[in-house]
Amino acid sequence: MHEVDVVVIGGGPAGMAAAISAYESGIEDVWLLERDYWVGGILPQCIHDGFGNFVFGEMLTGSEYAQRYINKLRETGVKVRPNTMVLKIDQNREITAVNPSDGLIEVKAKTIILSMGCRERTRYQVLIPGSRPAGIYTAGVIQRYINIEGLMPGKKVVILGSGDVGMIMARRLTLEGAKVKGVYEITKTPGGLTRNVVQCLEDYNIPLHLSHTITNITGRYRVEGVTVAEVDSELRPIKETERYVPCDTVVLSVGLIPENELSKMAGVEIEEKTKGPTVDEQMQTSVPGIFACGNVVNVYDLVDDVSESAERAGKGVAASIGGKLERRKTPIRVKTGRNVNYIVPQIIRNKNLNESTRFYFRVKETEKSVGVVVSANGDKLLEKRERIVRPPEMVRINVPPDTLDKIKGDELTIDVEERKK
Amino acid sequence: MNDKNPRVIKKIQKTFAKMSFPNIEVSLEGDVVHLEGSVDSWDDVVRLGYQAGKFKGVGEIVNNVKVKGIVPKKEARQKKKLTTKIYPPKLPKKADVVVVGGGVVGCCIARELSRYNLEVVLLEKEWDVGMGASKANSAQVHTGIGEDSGTLKKELCAKSWPMYEKLTEELDVPYLRNGLLVVMTKDTFSGKMPSFVGNFLSKYLIPPFVVRKGKIVGDKPRVVKRKELLEMEPNLTPRALVGVFHPGYALVCPFRLTIALAENAVQNGAKVFLDTEVTGVLVEDKKVKGVVTNRGMIEASFVINAAGVFSDDVAAMAGAKEFTIHPRKGVILLFDKEMESYITHQVSLLKFPRDPHTKGGAVLMTVDGNINWGPSAVEIPDKNGREVSKEEIDWVFEKYSSALPNFPKSSIIKFFSGIRAPTYKEDFYIKPAKNVRGFVNVAGIQSPGLTAAPAIAELALDILREQGLEMEEKEDFNPVREGIPIFEKLSSEKKREQIEQNPLYGKIVCRCEHVTEGEIVDAIHSPLPAVTVDAVKYRTRAGSGRCQAGFCGPRVARILARELGISEEEVMQKGDGSNLFMKSKVRKRGGKHA
Repeated sequence: MHEVDVVVIGGGPAGMAAAISAYESGIEDVWLLERDYWVGGILPQCIHDGFGNFVFGEMLTGSEYAQRYINKLRETGVKVRPNTMVLKIDQNREITAVNPSDGLIEVKAKTIILSMGCRERTRYQVLIPGSRPAGIYTAGVIQRYINIEGLMPGKKVVILGSGDVGMIMARRLTLEGAKVKGVYEITKTPGGLTRNVVQCLEDYNIPLHLSHTITNITGRYRVEGVTVAEVDSELRPIKETERYVPCDTVVLSVGLIPENELSKMAGVEIEEKTKGPTVDEQMQTSVPGIFACGNVVNVYDLVDDVSESAERAGKGVAASIGGKLERRKTPIRVKTGRNVNYIVPQIIRNKNLNESTRFYFRVKETEKSVGVVVSANGDKLLEKRERIVRPPEMVRINVPPDTLDKIKGDELTIDVEERKK
Repeated sequence: MNDKNPRVIKKIQKTFAKMSFPNIEVSLEGDVVHLEGSVDSWDDVVRLGYQAGKFKGVGEIVNNVKVKGIVPKKEARQKKKLTTKIYPPKLPKKADVVVVGGGVVGCCIARELSRYNLEVVLLEKEWDVGMGASKANSAQVHTGIGEDSGTLKKELCAKSWPMYEKLTEELDVPYLRNGLLVVMTKDTFSGKMPSFVGNFLSKYLIPPFVVRKGKIVGDKPRVVKRKELLEMEPNLTPRALVGVFHPGYALVCPFRLTIALAENAVQNGAKVFLDTEVTGVLVEDKKVKGVVTNRGMIEASFVINAAGVFSDDVAAMAGAKEFTIHPRKGVILLFDKEMESYITHQVSLLKFPRDPHTKGGAVLMTVDGNINWGPSAVEIPDKNGREVSKEEIDWVFEKYSSALPNFPKSSIIKFFSGIRAPTYKEDFYIKPAKNVRGFVNVAGIQSPGLTAAPAIAELALDILREQGLEMEEKEDFNPVREGIPIFEKLSSEKKREQIEQNPLYGKIVCRCEHVTEGEIVDAIHSPLPAVTVDAVKYRTRAGSGRCQAGFCGPRVARILARELGISEEEVMQKGDGSNLFMKSKVRKRGGKHA
C-alpha cells in the first residue's frame, strides 16, 4: 500500500487546480488520478470561447484554458496518473484504483480531494417517453463526438433544454452542416447564460421555444421524429398543442448532476439541494481529511469559479496537513434567506482565516435591483448591490475574515432584499 | 370452410351476436376455431379471440379479425447486411434441423440439439440473439405457483426450475436464488368486503393456501408473520399483514443466459446466423423441405418454429397457422444500483380479484443489483410496439409504490418494455404441425417461458424424435461454457492476475458498471461475436448504468469499429439502420484513443 499526502480524484479543471494549489502551498507528495487518457476533463472538447475571464482576464477557449493549467501542472512535481479509475474509497481514506500499466493500486491518503465533476442527466431521468432508438444523445456526448472524435451524430436535430451546453451545441451542429430544428425549453426562461442565447441561437436563427417539451420519441432503429407540446404553468404538456417534428437526432441538455458515488462510498454527507458534499470554507467535507471542489460540490456556471473553489481546496489540504487551522468553538451554519435557493459553502469551521470567504449562491426567482445582505443574529454584516439576479446565474459575495470572526452565534444568513427606490 | 362441428360454431356465433358482433365469420378446422371479419377496435379483436377460446372442445384460435381502416404495417426489408471482418456469414445449403428464432427458447433448443450428431442451424433476424422478450422480462425463475393446474405452462415450469442451478453453473451465467415473498396487506381485499373480514382472510385463510400451492410444485414455502416479514424487509409497506416465503424463487440474467446457450450450442457445432430472416417455408407433400431467408435457402426436413411473437407468421408460411399470437406489452422500470439494499427479496403483493392476463408483476431485482418494478400488461396490435408512454411509467410506479411507499422516483435510470407472445388459450403451444410433417410449433411462450425453456427444449426434442429425426449422441459434447470474466466482481488477487494476463482489463471503459476494455474486446471476439453497441452491453453491462452510456458510448463505438474492422459510421446501436453516426464531410481529427 502506497502512502501519499494528497490524492486528487479527477483531473478536470477542478482537479488540476487543486493539485497545483496543494503543491504550491508546500505539499510535495500529490497524486492526481484521472480516468481518461489525459487530464483536462471536459475542457478540451469545449472549443468555444468564454473561459478564463476572471482567472486570466481574457477570453479563452476551453482547450486553451485547460492547456494553461496543464503547463502549470508540468512545472510542479504532481504525479499524474491517467487511465486510472478509482474503484473504491473508504472512511479511512484508503483508495483502490486501477490502470493498465500499474494494475490494481492501493493508496492510503492523508487527505483526499474529490474533484470528479458532474455528469449529464439522461432521457430516462427526465422521463421522456417513447421508443428507444439510436440517435438520442446528451449535449456533452455529441460535443465530444464532433470536437474530439470527428464524428457527426446526426443531420436533423431537435434539442431539449436550453442549458449552456445545449445552446452551444445548437451552434456547433449548425456550423457542421446539421439543421437544428429548434431548441425546446420547458420553463418560461432560458436555462443558460444570456450571452449564449444571443451568440448561439439568435445569431444563427435557431428558434427557441420556451414553455415547450418533448412528449414522445418515435423511431424503431434510429430516431424518426419527436412530438413536442406547450406546457401549462405546472409544466404539464397541453395535449391540444402537440405537434410532430421529424428529425434523426435528439440532443438533451436537461441538467447536470454532481458525480458523488465515490463521495457516498467514503461516507461524505450530501446536500439535498446541490446534490454535492456539504463543505466548509476550506472545502472540507463532513469526513475529516476529505475535501471536495468544482462541480462535484455544486454545478458552477463558469470554469473560473471551479478553479477558484479548487484553489481553496488545495490550500485547505495544505493547512490541514500543516496543522494551521484554528477551529471555532462552534461552527457557523450558513442559512438561506429570502429568495435564496442554496449557498456554498454551507458551514464555517475555522477562524483567523488568511483570506475572504467567497459564498456562491443561486436565487429562486429573477429579481431586479436587489441588495444581497449577509447577517448574523439579526445584525447586518455586509450588503452588496446587484442590478439583476437570475436563477441560472450564480451570485458571489466575499466576506472578509474579521467579519466572520465577529460572529458570536452559530448562524449566518444570506438574504436577497428588494431595494427601495 | 370446414363445418364438421356446427354446434360449436353456432354457439360462438350466437355469443358474438349478443356481444353485437353478428358479422364475424366462424369456422372450424379440427379443434382450431378460425375467425374472420372486421371490428372497430383492437380491444374488440382481443375480446373475440378470448371469447371463442372459452368454449369446450376449442383447442386454439386463429383470429384473423381486422380493425377497420387500419392497414397492418409492413416492415421495409433491410438492404444492408451484417458482415464484418469477424462475422462473415454464409448460409449452408443443407441442415438436419433449422431453428427459427434466437430467443431463450430457440437457443435452448439449439443447445439441446447440439448434444447430437446433427447439422443444427439457428436463424435470428436481429443482429443478436435474445432481442425480443428474452431481453425484456422480469428475469425471474418461477416455481410455477402462479400457473393454473393442468396447464403445460405449470408442468414445464415446475419441471424446469430445479434445473437452473446446474444449468447456470455449466453456462457461467449469473443466478441468484433470493426467494419470493408473497405478501398479504390490508389492501388485499380492498373495497370488496368489510376490512375486518378481508384482514381475517388475508391473515389466516390465504397463507396456508399459498403454502400448499408452493409445495405442489416442489418448493418448501413457509408462512412469515408480520414481525419477521418487516425484519426481512424493513422498507416494506406497514400495511403488510403476513407473507409466504418461497425459497425456490430465483433470478437469472435473461440475456446472458440466452447468449450463453447460443454460445454453448456454437461451441458444440451448431451454427447461429444473425440478421437472417425467414421469409418462407418450403413444404412438399405435406412435409417440410426447408426455409427461405434474406440470405438464401436452406434445405431441412425438420424445422422448429420458435419465432416468439412472430411464430404465427412463420407458422402461416408453412401453412400451419393453428393459433394466433396477440402481442401483450409489459413495461419495466429499472432503478439505480444505489438503491440495491433497499429490498433484498422478490416481493409480490397479493390482490383479489386477480388480473387473469399477468401474474401481476413484482418488486424485483436484477442479478447485477438493480431493483426493478413491473411488468405491466397491455394488449397491443403492433408486434414491434415497444414504445413506453408517460402513463405507463406512472402506472407501474404507482402500482408498486404500494409495496414500497417511500421509494424515490428520481432513482429511475431506465424504462423499457418487452412483448409477450400469448395465444388466446394462454398456454404454451408446443406441437407438431397438424398437416406439415417435420414442422414443429414452439409457440405461445410467455411467462414462465424463461424458467420453462429447458423443459420446453426437452419436449421439442421429444417431438422431433416422434417426427422421425434420428438422434445419435455426440461423444464430445461439452456442456460447459466459460463466460467473460466480470472484472468488478473479481477478488483483488484475481483482478491483479487478470490485468497481468491482459492489460486491457486494467482499463475501465464503463465508469458506472466498472466494465473494462478487456471484457468488451472479449465480448466482440466471443463464440457468438457482439457486433453492436447493445450486444456489447448485454454481454458486459457497459452502458447499462446510471449514465446510460454517456461516458462509455463513444469509447465502445470506437472499440467496436477497431475490432470489427469497420468505420465508426458503420457501428450500429442494435441492428441495421440504427447507426450512431452519419456520414459527414467533417474532416476527421485526432481520435487515436478509444
